Amino acid sequence: MISDKKTFSGAKSYVLDEELAKIVNISMALEMPLLLKGEPGTGKTMLAHAIADTLGMPLITLNVKSSMKLIDALYQYDTLTRLNDSRFGDSKKDVSNIEEYIKMGKIGQAFTADKRTILLIDEIDKADTDFQDDMLDVLDQMEFDIIEIDKTISTKHRPVIIITSNAKKDLSDPFLGRCNFHHIAFPDPKMMRKIIKVHFTNIDSDLMENTVNVFYRLRELESIEKRPATRELINWIRALKSDPDFKPKDLVKGDIPYLGILFKKSPDYARAINTVSRRRII
Amino acid sequence: MFIGFFYKLKEVGIPVSPTSFLTLHKALSRGLVSSLDDFYTTSRATLVKSERYFDLFDQVFAHHFEGAELPDLTGVELDELARSMLEEWLKNPKTLASALGIDESEISKLTPEQLIEYFKERLKEQTERHEGGSKWIGTGGTSPVGHSGNHPGGMRVGGVSRNKSAVKVAMERRYKDYSLSGPLSQAMIGEALKRLRHMIPSGPKDRVNVDKTIYQTMKNAGEIEIVFDRILKDRLKIIIAIDNGGWSMEPYVNIVQTLFDYARAQFKDVKTYFFHNTIYDTIWLDTSRYKRPQKIDEFAKLDSETRLIIVGDASMAPYELMARNGSIHIEERSGQPSIECLKFLAKNFRHSIWLNPIPAHMWGYTQTIFAISSIIPMFELSIDGLEKAVAHLMAK
Repeated sequence: MISDKKTFSGAKSYVLDEELAKIVNISMALEMPLLLKGEPGTGKTMLAHAIADTLGMPLITLNVKSSMKLIDALYQYDTLTRLNDSRFGDSKKDVSNIEEYIKMGKIGQAFTADKRTILLIDEIDKADTDFQDDMLDVLDQMEFDIIEIDKTISTKHRPVIIITSNAKKDLSDPFLGRCNFHHIAFPDPKMMRKIIKVHFTNIDSDLMENTVNVFYRLRELESIEKRPATRELINWIRALKSDPDFKPKDLVKGDIPYLGILFKKSPDYARAINTVSRRRII
Repeated sequence: MFIGFFYKLKEVGIPVSPTSFLTLHKALSRGLVSSLDDFYTTSRATLVKSERYFDLFDQVFAHHFEGAELPDLTGVELDELARSMLEEWLKNPKTLASALGIDESEISKLTPEQLIEYFKERLKEQTERHEGGSKWIGTGGTSPVGHSGNHPGGMRVGGVSRNKSAVKVAMERRYKDYSLSGPLSQAMIGEALKRLRHMIPSGPKDRVNVDKTIYQTMKNAGEIEIVFDRILKDRLKIIIAIDNGGWSMEPYVNIVQTLFDYARAQFKDVKTYFFHNTIYDTIWLDTSRYKRPQKIDEFAKLDSETRLIIVGDASMAPYELMARNGSIHIEERSGQPSIECLKFLAKNFRHSIWLNPIPAHMWGYTQTIFAISSIIPMFELSIDGLEKAVAHLMAK
């Protein structure tokens, strides 16, 4: 699988587990969207970037917003410019040709691109259910109509579609029916060490061991609302590395600096500080 | 191919659809699957659409391809049985010993786990439920479908590995955690309450109204006149009344606090009141419930479109709800029974709901819950319940 040019096997800045690689390849082969769920910080969005990087395909990202309508993602008809142009007539555009005033949205761009693209639809759960269902219809048929010019846009190259969702809640059934699904679990310590190695190529092994140990222990604290994720760990290590006074041994002694990088909600932070100072968690 | 596997998945309660099964076959026919490993990954990605079912899928997979014991579909009864058996054992070891056909002195040496296992072994021998040399013992979960209940992994007594890693992976049951329904976090409450809003125009006129612009321009015979509108903003008025008294709400403090925090952050116009057990003539603005009282009669002056959300366990002695002067607080002597006050509120605010942190399947055991829910629609304080509640609040 790995030697084949068209399959995906991980990127320089992204540590991929084998299972996920397989699912990505299968979704690409079946030409079905892949829905990724998982805790924030498990690298859902990063995956799309990594695939784009590895396969050398352009990445088009649609950041879903709650107020978004499907049409915004497909195309936009710039009526106001046309109205102005028709009034003053100093534009280079042909006012009688509506098509010149149609701008493609993100999905439209992916459909009309000259080569196969990766279409990342990020945080689909922010939009309402109608948006999701309608969008899947478009992605299923790989075409949409532009009503204003009575033209059907269909794909030149079926894009590879990656959809991410943060929600605990399930998406609607018709939506799920049309995607493949994977849940990215939070990386285990072994995986985490690999991830850290990717980000800090020559990291001191003491530093890595101690930080990872402390990190997983801190994650297990009770009643934490936002548990620290990979991003926080990496930033934390970065902070520790840049502190000249810090020695990895300090962590073993139970002296844990910069907790604010790991815990970003004040009750969480207070609880972490409390636990760390009250009893040694190592 | 694998039709048996497909139906087994369906049988244990994973919502698998024929379409997705066909997708799986498409993958198979294209030669994308070359090993059991591949099959595990592919079938899970195509058939199972929620991480909540990953654990169950793993178990069925291990069962189908390795003969590991399937989680007992009768797990509930068996666990019940085991529990009552243990109780019996504590009370009266002799009867139990004779019932199981072993010596009393022997039974007293067993640990509870051993006893249950022994009992299960006996059960298996009798019914021959386990063929194929499976050496796995599991206590089975309380519910295979994993709705609100627990799904304990059970005590496993080893297993035979035959070097099929997919099966090994499946048998590890890595996704066990996700089959638990987690506590409501702020983000999840936000998710559910997102649709609770009432959009009205406000702020500066900075949005172009295309339709009106075209109309006006045509009216001016082509002289462009651009019409601006105000942006739509959420102006929903909300009253939250929280039961913060007594010990009965104690276990739910965290969850209610989260709801409250979210509501304050999300809604511009939210008033919070407090009461104990149920609402009488007065409701309080302060948590200690004596400094700033508010007569509920005055709510009649408020906009009837205000959404009223009452949070409480609705569990109390019936007289507190039904009788005049029913309050357990001596200083709180009202002319009318609480139930009349609730009726007044329900009439005054068309959109009112009661959120109850007690799981819905427990409601039947409490009289006052029934009485209150017949006046004010009651919803469970869970993701599903919140969603239904929001739908009700936004109904026309």
